[in-house]
Amino acid sequence: MDLSLSPPEREFRDAVRDWIAANHPGPEPAGDSEQFEFRRAWQRAVNERGWAGLTWPAEYGGAGGTLVEQAILFEEVARAGAPPMANILGLAMGGPTVIAHGSEEQRRRFLPPILSADEIWCQGFSEPDSGSDLASLKTRAVRDGDEWVVTGQKVWTTYAHEAKWCMLVARTDPDAPRHRGLTYFLMDMEQDAVEVRPLVQITGEAEFNELFIDGARIPHENIVGGEGNGWPVAITTLMHERAGLAFALQVSVQIALRELRDDIREAGRADDPLVRQRFGQLYAEAQVLRLNAYRGLTAISKRGAPGPEGSLGKWHWAEVNQGLTELAMDVLGPRVLIADGRWPRRFLRARANSIEGGTTEILKNIVAERVLGLPRA
Amino acid sequence: MNFDLSEDQRTIKSTARELLAARYPLAEVRRLALDDERGFTDAQWEEMVALGWPEIAELGTVEMIVVAEELGYALAPTPLQSTWVAGLLGADVSGGRRGAVVMDGMAADAGSADVLVDWDGAEVSGASVEPARGLDPTRRMFLISAPPAPRSPLGADVERARLQATVMNAAESVGVAERAMGLAVEYAKERKQFGRAIGTYQAVSHACAQMLLEVEGARSAVYWAAWALDHEPEAAPLAAACAKAYAGDAGRRVPRSALQVHGGIGFTWEHDLHFFLKRGEANAHAYGSGAAHREQIAALAGL
Repeated sequence: MDLSLSPPEREFRDAVRDWIAANHPGPEPAGDSEQFEFRRAWQRAVNERGWAGLTWPAEYGGAGGTLVEQAILFEEVARAGAPPMANILGLAMGGPTVIAHGSEEQRRRFLPPILSADEIWCQGFSEPDSGSDLASLKTRAVRDGDEWVVTGQKVWTTYAHEAKWCMLVARTDPDAPRHRGLTYFLMDMEQDAVEVRPLVQITGEAEFNELFIDGARIPHENIVGGEGNGWPVAITTLMHERAGLAFALQVSVQIALRELRDDIREAGRADDPLVRQRFGQLYAEAQVLRLNAYRGLTAISKRGAPGPEGSLGKWHWAEVNQGLTELAMDVLGPRVLIADGRWPRRFLRARANSIEGGTTEILKNIVAERVLGLPRA
Repeated sequence: MNFDLSEDQRTIKSTARELLAARYPLAEVRRLALDDERGFTDAQWEEMVALGWPEIAELGTVEMIVVAEELGYALAPTPLQSTWVAGLLGADVSGGRRGAVVMDGMAADAGSADVLVDWDGAEVSGASVEPARGLDPTRRMFLISAPPAPRSPLGADVERARLQATVMNAAESVGVAERAMGLAVEYAKERKQFGRAIGTYQAVSHACAQMLLEVEGARSAVYWAAWALDHEPEAAPLAAACAKAYAGDAGRRVPRSALQVHGGIGFTWEHDLHFFLKRGEANAHAYGSGAAHREQIAALAGL
């Protein structure tokens, strides 16, 4: 066991730290589209340094780096308060899926513009009637010569208004057993048959969208992983969502915890034993999140798959992140009646944490069935 | 970065798992706990001495906690943990000598100890040692009345020894929790009600998933703290507080939940689950409560 960085890892960390210090773009601008363009410019700078696709193969514009280096990059970006990269869904989910299941032409076509943020990606999985039960989705794709014609509705589509490509799962064989009749497409968002409507959430913001698809056309060559094979390809995307984002999410928890500590002091509540107990508990849980994330990296690099702790990260993160926003609300007391400042918004936003990317209940089912081997309901 | 046991550490773990499983089947744990006056046999102790376990901390804190976790998993009644802590606090526990540590006027395993030390790392002599009925029958408890005479320190690094002892106890709770979880999961697969295995009900399966979250989280925290004690001493106080707060809670919450999964049978004296429940509960109050360690975390984190 060695929880310290190896000499090459330390060297990499120092290089990242120095580079971020020299290239930090400063605070993010106000306004959704200004912020998005700011993050796009930042991603381009990171990509020119070669780090946007740190763990991707070099032939597709990646750096062939290790998972630990990826973790170091996340930690240093968070430590420096540098912005996230714009094309997060392409980087964390779409790219890895194309690398795993795409053809050679697809890799060459789609991967470099993900890294350069020239083509933004979004995800078309959930539907109004298909949330946790994703395999019941109804969006239909019908073959028409060399093309597929798609009709249906998707929901919770982050960045749809900025996106060029949508990872779209649609039903191509309504007669097949429900997991077998699905196909994974890359759909061009720039067509009239795709309408994007912002979906206003409980914070009053619209991070997500609804997609209304009415006869959109997708060339046959944009199927990833083969016709009728959409389910395992979609699972790959979801696994990357949970594993790849888990590390970045735990880093953001460490930062939020430091802010909470400072806000507790500023609110004059640092002597309250109940506040101290809850803070101490959250701190320990945040350390567990961090440690499990590192244990997961070791397991993946040694055995090719995360160990039992890998299934727990997203669920545990949701609990910890919700818990710290709840403590912040209690600490601030009556001041939260005025809904400005960072905590009221974060508290509301955190309600989604145990739903988005797999509900806590579904994740517990997965742990119970696949890790503990309990019988299916 | 390698968050995994080394080859040698893994060998220690598997050796301990196999040996303890062979020597301490639950029937033997029950016999020692309920019917054996000392709570362990000479043969069991001598075998541990022959393996070098009483002085395993010399190899490293990680090596010690690997064995501690397995002792918790097997729920092996033994004075080994008391002897470890006495040794860390400066007592001479070489050559098969056994130690015990006086804390809060009590000492586990004091009746069979060759040397008594206090939590400040000083030898205690001339004390009266009265057996008492412990909450946890797998560990012999004694009430100690020691004379108020000034005690001379044995010269150990007491701060470090206390942290090592605390993390060792947390590691034991990881093993206790893991075993209780295993019993619950097996039972949930076999026990049928309303015509199907109770593990198919989410109220039960989600409780089991929660156990895994706590067991694996506790293990991560304990490994971190043990590693920090050996390699990053400046992080050790915070890491040890996190480990004890989290693993101490897991060590009692998981057996409680496991008992609920078992239903009525888990409440019977005949079933073995209560031994794990009692050890986990006892550990949560030893070496500082969860509340005390959470307070320590807050202080060390700058609150």
